[in-house]
Amino acid sequence: MSYYFAIIGTRDNPLFEIDFGTSKGGADGAARFRDEAKHMNQFIVHAALDMVEEIQWNNKELYLKKVDSFQNNHIHCLLTGGNIKFMLLMNPDPTSTPYSAYQTSPPSRPSTARQSTLLASNPTTPQTEDAVRQFMLEVYEAWLKCIMNPFYQVNQAVTSPVFRSRVATAAKKYL
Amino acid sequence: MPSQAASPVVSPHESDSDASISLPQQRRPDRSPLASVDRLPYRRSNASLSNLFASTSSLPTRPGSDGTQTPPSAALNGSVFSPGGSTVRSPSPALPGVGAGSAGSETRNIIVRAFSPHVSVLASQDTEELIRHKGIHGGLLELLRPFGERVPGKVTIRDSSGASRSYEDYAVRFVGVKDGLESSRAANRNSTDSIRTGPRASMLEYKPARLRTGGDVPQIEDLVERHLTFAEEQSGPVQPDYLNHKSAATKPADSNNPSPFYHLYLRRLLSGLPLVPSETLSHPLASIIAISSRSPSPIEELRTLYASSNNGEHRLPPWVHNEFLRYYVLIHDEDYDSLPQSTALYDQMKRHFGLHCHLLRLRSTQCLPSDDDALLLPTCEWTAAAEDLSEITRRETSDDDDDPDITGPYIFDTDAANLRAFVRELVTQSLVPALERASATWNDQVASRRRGISGRFMSLSKRFTTFGSSSSSTSSASNRNSSVPSFGAAVGGSTNYDPSTGAYPPSANEATMRRLADYAMVLRDYRLAQSTFEILCQDFKGDKAWRHYAGANEMVVVSSLIQTGGAKVRYEAIETALREAYYTYVSRCQAPYYALRTLVLGVELLRLRGGAALDEAARWAGRVLEDRLVGAVGSVLVMERIAACYAERRVAGVSVVERRRKAAFWNALATEAWLRLEKGGRAEECLGAAARLYQALYESESSAAELEEKMGFEMEKRRFEAMQAHLASLHAAVQSNLSGPHHLSDEDLLAQQDADEQGQLAEPLQEDSDKLASLRRPSLQIQASNQPPGHRRSISVSASATSPDPPPQMQTLFDPLGAVGSAYETTPSTQRRPSGGGTVPLSAGAGVGDLPGMSSPMGERGSGGRDDGFE
Repeated sequence: MSYYFAIIGTRDNPLFEIDFGTSKGGADGAARFRDEAKHMNQFIVHAALDMVEEIQWNNKELYLKKVDSFQNNHIHCLLTGGNIKFMLLMNPDPTSTPYSAYQTSPPSRPSTARQSTLLASNPTTPQTEDAVRQFMLEVYEAWLKCIMNPFYQVNQAVTSPVFRSRVATAAKKYL
Repeated sequence: MPSQAASPVVSPHESDSDASISLPQQRRPDRSPLASVDRLPYRRSNASLSNLFASTSSLPTRPGSDGTQTPPSAALNGSVFSPGGSTVRSPSPALPGVGAGSAGSETRNIIVRAFSPHVSVLASQDTEELIRHKGIHGGLLELLRPFGERVPGKVTIRDSSGASRSYEDYAVRFVGVKDGLESSRAANRNSTDSIRTGPRASMLEYKPARLRTGGDVPQIEDLVERHLTFAEEQSGPVQPDYLNHKSAATKPADSNNPSPFYHLYLRRLLSGLPLVPSETLSHPLASIIAISSRSPSPIEELRTLYASSNNGEHRLPPWVHNEFLRYYVLIHDEDYDSLPQSTALYDQMKRHFGLHCHLLRLRSTQCLPSDDDALLLPTCEWTAAAEDLSEITRRETSDDDDDPDITGPYIFDTDAANLRAFVRELVTQSLVPALERASATWNDQVASRRRGISGRFMSLSKRFTTFGSSSSSTSSASNRNSSVPSFGAAVGGSTNYDPSTGAYPPSANEATMRRLADYAMVLRDYRLAQSTFEILCQDFKGDKAWRHYAGANEMVVVSSLIQTGGAKVRYEAIETALREAYYTYVSRCQAPYYALRTLVLGVELLRLRGGAALDEAARWAGRVLEDRLVGAVGSVLVMERIAACYAERRVAGVSVVERRRKAAFWNALATEAWLRLEKGGRAEECLGAAARLYQALYESESSAAELEEKMGFEMEKRRFEAMQAHLASLHAAVQSNLSGPHHLSDEDLLAQQDADEQGQLAEPLQEDSDKLASLRRPSLQIQASNQPPGHRRSISVSASATSPDPPPQMQTLFDPLGAVGSAYETTPSTQRRPSGGGTVPLSAGAGVGDLPGMSSPMGERGSGGRDDGFE
């Protein structure tokens, strides 16, 4: 179970990227993405912006819930008032994502009972949405504090280690 | 990297006329070019072969297709003096009625024509002999088939509401009597098929009836793969050489236009439908019984054939409705028999058998290509994949290009005219009226009773009383055929369904209604078909006849989506039917072919609806990929389709709905997948589409950014780095794939063949050409270095520094994200050493490696991974 979190500016430019794993159930909180996923996650999140742009007009909330999915990647989004998108990609089992490869093996099902109860396996359940909402709001708070820096300009990438650690803490807490 | 160490010295494009000699200068023993073609004994590009691939190889960027500077290899291949050479140019039969219509309507056209009436052909021995004497080995069926695909003139059909409509593109499918019954894979040698095959048949296990059965997805995959490989060979680098770079660069993005390969896939998926109890689409709706004027006792012969089609050797399984139209044809031998005699016989026939008779005048002598009015027998469009594969194999293994067996049989012009007239008369005067009559009768007697309240009640009473079955079967007793073997006691309980055979007896109400609905489909009365299928869904579900149930649901989807003009379709109903059909095929019936057919039909028809249905189409196409219903080639084609669906989705207005990012993403995925399959040409096309989409996305924005910069803001341009790098590496991989002679060439296969040690056929030829090659090589090299750069064949020869490549023209096109720029300077895409310099790494890949921040695995594969099967 791995997550990729990206903050995307108004010009589809990434301002912040991080990937992490779940910390629930004694997991170590490290992402298990394959090498390919390094660019594929970006592609997927970028493609999901299409859906965000459509959904944002029908939804008054900041948190848009699940907006898109690709194979077994599911993307949740929070859209800030300043048109900055927080995109969270969750993947219950990165090793089974085929991406563009042709796989001959039958489609994988969650192998263990534990895996099927993971948040990412059920991206639309209230529990998942709740957890992601709390995570998003906490990151949003940290984000607001971060961009209140007088030297920060719109669409500038955020490199602050403090912000990064806060995101990581929020991830550990909720996801 | 042994593969490029041994990059062969190939003849320049100009000397392609030597292709049939296939110079194997260097062996590449440890390369397996394509796993699926490995068992190919020997591959050559001869005229007749390229003719076979004509339906897909009309790629717009194919060099030499203009024929001005570089004549296509095939054109020079045949003898200059024989018109056989002209076969290359004979285009695939264009779809009539479509004309230059949009691609969307072409897809629809394919689907509409997929539901054509099947007409089985039963000919007497002496007729088959007569036809075979003409040089057509498949007999009367092979002669008729191409003409059935296009009924000349308009065909007027009256629908259930009494309105007449004319169609210009009506078609009938001529099939053998037992076609579609046996799987094309069965290795049973004792074919009961009475049709004798040509002299080569035994060698290639050419079993017509079996080959004409479609519905085998791996075979379709295999066939499309062959076509792709051929197109790669033919088109070679679409890399801009100075002949075609303009057309390549300025070719507009047309996401609307599906590739010919996808159309091929679709058509093969829908042709050769297997004969099954659950759907009557492939059941014969008429049968042609043919005798010839040579027959000593013609009337007797007709009776025998008729009897054999009723209960003899040619009787179809009991679940096939046997009361279809019989059409009697007398074939008159123009060359040997006297016409008055035949006319008298024909009159006698008409007296005995009624109006459905025809006198077909054919010449019995073989037509030679050199004859004045010779006409190449047109090729069939709607053939099963197995047939095509066997034909390709046959032509590849043959030695002689001018062999009439290989170039395809010729017929006389007069014969062709007579055949066309015959088909037209058959369709307009007998077949269509008979179908209209039958469907009107059934509609009155069976279906209309089921509509409305009382009909609902009837289905209830049928379910809950044991009374229903007997009453329903007696009610249609008039339809009962005496020759139908009794269906036995299996009809238990309240249902007509026999679970052991998975069939309804043809006289049962359900079977009659299914026939009615299918007749309505082939008569293009989709409204009637839809309402009938909807009733059938309920019935089949009650009987737990799952295959029937899935089939009816599938056809509900097709018949409601295919309707044009004003008909508002409720998407929810369609979605339910589609899901039910798919789910039932996959989990209850384990019928992946049917599931795939359902989804593909659904996706294509939804796509034609446009608007929000495009999203649904893409979603269902995603299901195809997810559940792995298709093979490797099919999955990439589906990816392209998803991209096309998204690219089309566009709603302007208050809320802008666009899917350009998604379309671009799927195109990028397809690029990667094509590269994995070694299809550089296709990969380039997909990458081009992706690049254009990304470019369109950021064009306006970059100008805004410049504006901001001018106004003094310091704008940090930062994009997704890994994404850009990946695109760049894809680009580099495409370039290196195109520029090098990676794709399959004759040498590869010869070498491969040697490794397999099966090359009895190829061996002597190869020795000869080895000598030839050694004689020729010095001159070739001189010629090559004098060549203007850019010809594919000359690249590997002249890649030494003497001829620097022209700067690639497509740079701007491919570099929307500004990522490729630096890659290009260091990527002379053709900087490939001649065969000696095996230690030099692939420069294209290395060039990409120089990109800052470049760390995608694609790049590594582009440079070093040649041995992991990626090349």
